[in-house]
Amino acid sequence: MKLRMSKTTIIDAKKRKLFPSLSELKRYKDLFITLAWRDFRVRYAQTTIGFLWAFIQPIVTLIILSIVFTKFAKVDTGNIPHSIFTACGLITWTYFAFVMTNSGKSIIESQNMIKKIYFPRLIIPLSKALVGLIDMGVAVIILVALMIYHGVAPASTAWFSPLFILVGMIAALSVGIWLSALTIRFRDFQHIIPFMVQLGLFISPVAFPAEKVLDKAPEWAVSLYYLNPMAGVVQGFRWSLFGGEAPDNMMFISFGMILLLFVTSLMYFKRVEDEIADFV
Amino acid sequence: MEETKAIKVSNLGKRYTIGKQKNASLRSTLSNVFKSAAAKGDDFWAIRDINFEINRGDIVGIIGKNGAGKSTLLKVLSQITKPTTGRIEINGRVASLLEVGTGFHPELTGRENIYLNGTILGMTRKEVKEKFNDIVEFSGVKQFIDTPVKHYSSGMYVRLAFSVAAHLEPEILIIDEVLAVGDAEFQKKCIGKMSDVAAEGRTVLFVSHDMGAISSLCTKGFYLEKGTIIKEGPVDEVVEHYLNSSTKGTDLIKKYKEFAFNEWDEKVVLHNVKLINEQKEEILNATIDQTIGIQVEFEVLDSKGVYPIPNIHISNSLGGKLLVSIAPNASNQFSSKGKHFATAWIPKNFLNNNYFKIGVAITTFSPFQVHVSDYDAINFEVLDSDLNSNFRNGYVGKIDGLIRPDLYWEFENND
Repeated sequence: MKLRMSKTTIIDAKKRKLFPSLSELKRYKDLFITLAWRDFRVRYAQTTIGFLWAFIQPIVTLIILSIVFTKFAKVDTGNIPHSIFTACGLITWTYFAFVMTNSGKSIIESQNMIKKIYFPRLIIPLSKALVGLIDMGVAVIILVALMIYHGVAPASTAWFSPLFILVGMIAALSVGIWLSALTIRFRDFQHIIPFMVQLGLFISPVAFPAEKVLDKAPEWAVSLYYLNPMAGVVQGFRWSLFGGEAPDNMMFISFGMILLLFVTSLMYFKRVEDEIADFV
Repeated sequence: MEETKAIKVSNLGKRYTIGKQKNASLRSTLSNVFKSAAAKGDDFWAIRDINFEINRGDIVGIIGKNGAGKSTLLKVLSQITKPTTGRIEINGRVASLLEVGTGFHPELTGRENIYLNGTILGMTRKEVKEKFNDIVEFSGVKQFIDTPVKHYSSGMYVRLAFSVAAHLEPEILIIDEVLAVGDAEFQKKCIGKMSDVAAEGRTVLFVSHDMGAISSLCTKGFYLEKGTIIKEGPVDEVVEHYLNSSTKGTDLIKKYKEFAFNEWDEKVVLHNVKLINEQKEEILNATIDQTIGIQVEFEVLDSKGVYPIPNIHISNSLGGKLLVSIAPNASNQFSSKGKHFATAWIPKNFLNNNYFKIGVAITTFSPFQVHVSDYDAINFEVLDSDLNSNFRNGYVGKIDGLIRPDLYWEFENND
């Protein structure tokens, strides 16, 4: 039998790296795919309607939001129907909520594995980002169906939309990685995450246009609002698809926040990674 | 590092902080920010000052009592947790098996779990695919390969899990007592597979309580006590050292005092278990032609409604149970508060030349309730007393079997 080329692994108590190793993550890419695939396979196991659940959840959310924001709050969504407006907002938001929730608790859920074998731990929350794409795909299908029904065509800026999806993915991962690392030491975050999701849905401009709400607000309040990383993503994604007022500089506050969260999440994760097996 | 070294470890240590770490809460961390001298928990070194080198192709057995640091050493070597001090150099592709079937998901089929487990163990999907048929063949669960594993019997589950692990092709294999699972036949298959791995020139690190498996598989041994290696060398010497030191009565007394056995119900406590000869002197090993006494010292703290009866469990080194003996007619003997001694006598010419493990439990049998138990109290070896004895007829090799009673033979010669 042939032996592979030797590689040398060095474990040194004194040496600590600042960021997770990219080459190591690459070596484990098959595990990354397998874990995502496992989550997908297991999710609707032994349910009678199976994958249909993936459609029912966003549709019900959409209906509830439409009722609340058209009948009670009476928001004005300009030249596009409110259902399309909201369905568009839900694409990036549901992805964000899914990844934040699932990667947040992912390390705790995988504790049995973590205590028994080594692999770059970052693979676990990362794999949730892949699983979330399925829900995002479902949300896109719903939006497209609504657009066909209402006869709404995408704007010429639609080419920008993948960019906003990408930024949204990074945002979701950053928060997810932060939460997964924090939950290891402070289980409190397991209980905080659902609140973040609930609150986030109503403070992010998913079912209402941010500019309408922030119309009369002072500039500092607007800046503060855009510290929510998803504010810029949701607004920008919708602008790319349906036009309207071009996103202003405020969006870059969100993007700057995402960059900051992303870099710090990797650093914090690396810091706790070595001791995860001792804590969980 | 020279090519011949597979693992080089220097000054390795792992410290745990007892108490504080486990209880770290958001509140205490936040409040500690404002307190420079935060209350520190007690430090505990699970392993300390460990230095060794393992050559390529060595099969090393790591032995030691529970709590000696074996598992921590494996965890640090497998990169599961980071050492507090020291440095490790590992030359080659490592696979560590601290458990079989890591990551197995009950809802997934056998086929899907092979891919899942294989990639968790560090194989690529392509590698799993190439070996898929061999894995299924070895496991013997071919028929059920597309059934979710939650419908498997535990034996099938373990067999499938081990098969995946057995088809890894690492240069260095780290194994923690995974052989303690499965039926005897499958265990044999596994030991065979491990010998194959060894014969191919790979390096193996093997932790086990099973002196039989250690002596037959390994070439070198490390004996760990209190987190450091106190004896290292050819495996037979190390095993002998372990057997001689592991049965010291004083250690057990200390163990029973220090350990918080959660399963103990606080009505009865164990004080000591020792091996004695007919003169009631403590012995560490015995010979075949020697009567062996197992003396259990225990104390009844709360006698209300309990009828504690000592019982001993003798197993071979693989953990296979040889016998259980329960003190007869003892319902009222030990129901009073205070210290008691009970000795079970094993007749001479009964146990064969082999390694044995003694377990002890104090139980009320009606209604059934185990008050205390230690199923790994004493390890000892029964030695052949006399290679010239009559029944050997000049044969000096090992005589198989766990027991070797003196059977009565009758001869008839028709001439």
